[in-house]
Amino acid sequence: MNPFVLSILLLSLGLGTTLTFASSHWLLAWMGLEISTLAIIPLMAQHHHPRAVEATTKYFITQAAAAALILFASTTNAWITGQWDINFNLHAFPASLLTMALALKMGLAPVHFWLPEVLQGLDLTTGLILSTWQKLAPFILMCQIMPVNPSLITFLGIASTLVGGWGGLNQTQLRKILAYSSIAHLGWMVLVMQFNQQLALLALVIYIPMTFSTFMIFKTNSSTTMNTLAASWAKTPALTAITPLVLLSLGGLPPLSGFMPKWMILQELTKQGIPLTASVAALSALFSLYFYLRVSYAMTLTISPNNLNATTPWRLQTTSSTLPLAISTTISAMLLPLAPATLALLSP
Amino acid sequence: MSLSRIARHPLLLGCVRHQLFLNPSPLPGGACMRSLSRAQYRRPGQPKDNRPPWKRIKFDFAKGVEGVKRQLTLLKKELLDPLVGPEGKPMLEHMLEQNRVVWEFRGPECLEQWSVSSDREIGGQSEAYLKLGRNNNTCLLYGTLCAAPPRDGETRYSGYCTMRSKQRLCSFDRKTHFDWTSFNTLHLRVRGDGRPWMINLAPETYFSHQKDDMYSYFLYTRGGPYWQEVKIPFSKFFLGHRGRIQDDQHHLWLDKINTIGFTLGDKVDGPFQLEIDFIGVCKDYAHTEEFAYEKYKRNPEV
Repeated sequence: MNPFVLSILLLSLGLGTTLTFASSHWLLAWMGLEISTLAIIPLMAQHHHPRAVEATTKYFITQAAAAALILFASTTNAWITGQWDINFNLHAFPASLLTMALALKMGLAPVHFWLPEVLQGLDLTTGLILSTWQKLAPFILMCQIMPVNPSLITFLGIASTLVGGWGGLNQTQLRKILAYSSIAHLGWMVLVMQFNQQLALLALVIYIPMTFSTFMIFKTNSSTTMNTLAASWAKTPALTAITPLVLLSLGGLPPLSGFMPKWMILQELTKQGIPLTASVAALSALFSLYFYLRVSYAMTLTISPNNLNATTPWRLQTTSSTLPLAISTTISAMLLPLAPATLALLSP
Repeated sequence: MSLSRIARHPLLLGCVRHQLFLNPSPLPGGACMRSLSRAQYRRPGQPKDNRPPWKRIKFDFAKGVEGVKRQLTLLKKELLDPLVGPEGKPMLEHMLEQNRVVWEFRGPECLEQWSVSSDREIGGQSEAYLKLGRNNNTCLLYGTLCAAPPRDGETRYSGYCTMRSKQRLCSFDRKTHFDWTSFNTLHLRVRGDGRPWMINLAPETYFSHQKDDMYSYFLYTRGGPYWQEVKIPFSKFFLGHRGRIQDDQHHLWLDKINTIGFTLGDKVDGPFQLEIDFIGVCKDYAHTEEFAYEKYKRNPEV
């Protein structure tokens, strides 16, 4: 893509999310969401492949529908309460409507059906932007409208963790696996959001480097399926050894960073007197862990007995910088010892 | 667009018609047509059905029970297969798989998965039939090709015969697709009569104006009594729409393939035969090409 056009689109992406972050008026927040949606559309469709265009169209339709719902809910709230301020308490009906609209924006169950198909149609870089950056703005809006209908929020959270785990179980396409991973992680964040928003933010802050690492690892290996990932030991042996750490961190295993948010969320849920919800969420994390382990198994723990199921490229010196991947994998794997400091920061 | 304009394409003349008037796939069990557009299609030469809608439905309790049982069996298979692994196979098998036979012809029920069509549907004179070969081990597509255009005043070219697999359906008549991402080559064992055929792969599409998108390649058969094993990499398939090769080419995505078809349209009148033993996919480790054709940009890059 022309670098000027690319820079305009990326800056617009940044502008949209920043606008939503900074706004206290619902219209401005909605505008920020629309700007970021429209900015990513050309990035998604740039390859002109039918599947990319299909993904772009599905993404646009769902995001536009969600944005329209947000506008409708905020207008209804303004009509009922006379207030456009985001920080002002919402009326019950627009609050529920806003919650569902933001759930559709983020891809929470039961309105998650667009996310795997959209991610499958994109290249890995655009998929990374969709899974990380595009989640920030609706997430922050959702934090700001809390507390809303607790039953709805709990339902969204539990459904997302279950669907994210169950849906990813038999996937062999890596992008769909990451889509279901995203759904499950967002479910965890939403579950705790009604009780402790800092914990939800912590979960998001830990989730982003883990997902970034995973996408960049797959991009380095040029792999989009599990079978092609099995050849990575010949391409990048060091990365092949590190990838299970990143994947198990996504699965929430100690002593990796991904354990920290899950542990704290379970602790918070138990403190709030809903141990059953915490148990269901913990059990649903096992589904996700299974398919992360499966990817690790295919990639690192086994070497194919026959010829490699993918081509091995020439191992030339890489021209792209590996520093971002190095930093993100370090964050993904080694931040758990900071848990006490994090707890101290989060406590009031 | 009129048929005459479509017919002017020099390369794919014989292959055009069948994409417009392909025999709609009847559902398993002889159920009614799926979509409204397909229900309204009447093959030329067949008598018009003037019965009111309520008289066209055949109410049969036994048929209903059988239909429910069939759908529940499919649903059960669909729910239990993921417990084993992707596509009902263990993960190890999926990872180690190098070859897969997708279609083979071992009994009359295998022929039910295919539909045969020719330009007779638009008033032409070609004939095409499908039957099991000797010892019920192969299928034989045979007939007569006639390139004489129908005398309707607008069709200028004709002469095609085709055989296309039916859309795979899972429980409750939902579409299901083939996932061939682990493979890169189409492997056939055929015995032809020396005529050039075209193999057409149709992937799943989203927009309605993409429904005639087809990825095609040529199958040159050797005449004679000996079988030939044909391996065509998927990178060789080029994109066409309603018989016209598209300028904006891209490689075939293998994660959602719907149907495969064989078309004869070489403008040579006379009988033809194509015997197929099996159709499968395989992984050729020596083949590293992603796409065989140039993907040129029509406009300067914006």
